[in-house]
Amino acid sequence: MSDNTQPGMKPQKIDQAGDAWILHMPRFGAEGTHFHTYGLLTPYFKGLTEGKLLGTACVNPKCPITKGKGELWIPPRADCPDCHQPMPWHEVPTTQGYIYTFTMVERGGTGLEVTCPYYQVDVKLDGVCTIIKSWLAGGITTPIKIGDKVRARFRTGADATNTNLDLYWELI
Amino acid sequence: MIEFGQGNLRVPKWTRPVYMVAAGTTDFRKRYPEKKLEELCMMAFRMLLEDNHLKRDPLEVKGLVNFAAYGEFADHFQDQLLCESKVHDYIGLDPLPNIGVKTGGATGGSTMLAGAQSIASGYSDCTLVMGWERMDEVKTWTGNYYIASAACKDFETRLARNYASYYAPMARRFQEMYGVDERVRAAIAVKNRGYACSSPYAQQPGRHTVDEVLAGDIVSDPLRFLECCAMSVGSSAMLLCSEELAYQLTDNPVRLYICGGTHTLRTGDRRPMRIPLLPNETEADYAWLYEEMKRTDGRWPGFESFAAARVAAYMVYHMAGIHNPIEDLDLVETHDAFTISDLQTYGDVGLTLYGKEQSYVTSGECYLDNPVTGKPGKCPANLSGGLLGTMHAVGATGIFQMAEVFWQLQGKYDYFHGRDELWARYGKHKPAEWKSLQIDNPRRGLAISHAGVGSHVTCAVLERGW
Repeated sequence: MSDNTQPGMKPQKIDQAGDAWILHMPRFGAEGTHFHTYGLLTPYFKGLTEGKLLGTACVNPKCPITKGKGELWIPPRADCPDCHQPMPWHEVPTTQGYIYTFTMVERGGTGLEVTCPYYQVDVKLDGVCTIIKSWLAGGITTPIKIGDKVRARFRTGADATNTNLDLYWELI
Repeated sequence: MIEFGQGNLRVPKWTRPVYMVAAGTTDFRKRYPEKKLEELCMMAFRMLLEDNHLKRDPLEVKGLVNFAAYGEFADHFQDQLLCESKVHDYIGLDPLPNIGVKTGGATGGSTMLAGAQSIASGYSDCTLVMGWERMDEVKTWTGNYYIASAACKDFETRLARNYASYYAPMARRFQEMYGVDERVRAAIAVKNRGYACSSPYAQQPGRHTVDEVLAGDIVSDPLRFLECCAMSVGSSAMLLCSEELAYQLTDNPVRLYICGGTHTLRTGDRRPMRIPLLPNETEADYAWLYEEMKRTDGRWPGFESFAAARVAAYMVYHMAGIHNPIEDLDLVETHDAFTISDLQTYGDVGLTLYGKEQSYVTSGECYLDNPVTGKPGKCPANLSGGLLGTMHAVGATGIFQMAEVFWQLQGKYDYFHGRDELWARYGKHKPAEWKSLQIDNPRRGLAISHAGVGSHVTCAVLERGW
């Protein structure tokens, strides 16, 4: 064994493309975990795991856009973008809405946790100023169209993923 | 309904004009393992210095550079942060100042905007603007994972991890609200991939038919395979100068006006707004649209249009004195990442009114040779082959398309697309049926650089300076 040998250093796989060497560089596993915070949006994600759809709405009477009677933001935000004041939370007035637009996802990128094919839907709910992107239960067995009515469903308790996937929709 | 404040739509005013004097590019490939990224950038830089008939020698020109603006969309493809620094060093511009710019798919345009501002402000008399992307060092579906992180991490990315899927719902809504004929969408793919056949830089040139496009596999419904651009590797560059220096370096400098607009990352967060009108539009033109939107629970821009593009066009048209785009512009380069984003943009930039986007294609005015009238098209689009036919090495794209408009205005299409030696440089043969796509005597062109679902858009007007 040569004096220069360091334990743990081993040859990395290479491919050849013409005269060029292509080196394989695997990414690291659990050591590469990101510790990502939901910050002040935590009530939203917690709410989903409890079967509740919460949003935030501006109540500042001096807000030039809402005048204090803002509609709900879903996805929520802690601060109003129009007047910068904090926005309190409340539950949606209804969990029934309609499909504003959609796409059928045939195949997703690496790491997709939703089973393909499925419909990715954008849902309009009364009282909410934004349009909510999510997934539709039931695969693609029933073809859908813009205007179809849907109701919110939740992955709660032991089924919860603690992500936005805990909200989904079903046709009604 | 959100209305713009008076200050929001102030038209930018530069302290001095900005000129383009030279451009360079690599060819574009799905995989380019023969060269490292900085080696590709050097190819573009050398072409810029050596091939543009400048009145000074390449190393003299390089000795005039004061500043560089560099664009790259996604660091994680290469795992190389501060790639600007590596490239700047490799092409020998240390220790001059540089800046890195990233705005998704609009990176090229935003980098040009940053470079232009350095000239307009007097910070620099000579600025290099260069963009690049290398997307081939990961598997395609992992590349999709990376690109999907340009969607909202908490509320969108997890849903498909495939960028076409964030885009496709816009296509679906636009198609249904405006009654888009899928054959019109397909015609855009046929046109742009066909024009790419004249380009030695092109990655996917091809002679296709509308039927062939419509028979292809669905990538993300309703978008089919040939309606979507591919991942790409390569680099493009341009040199910007002050007026005095520009005329010392070339007899054919091109004046540049460029502005940007933005909108929310999440399409669903775009609240209803009043449409800012372009010089060729009136309130009366859109009375029907506001009525229609009441009926369909619609909103502007909603999922159908791009406020970012409308704002950028509004600003640059006022800066450059464009009154009626389809009449005043001789050509346009649009961001045809998908056929339908192209179609949507025609209304945003006023080539047609909103609601009439398809007429730009069906009237034939988007073609070099209008098949309907038999005369030259009023304002051909994507003679470069666009993203569908030629390239989308994201950081380079906006810059490449401006280079193509630049060369058209200089009357140099054939020089930069027809020389056998240029085809050979990239290991290709010029096709026997090669066709020149030079427009007759063009004076002004528009180039659009666009990010994803419209988070950022730049619009540039290029105008002959002689």
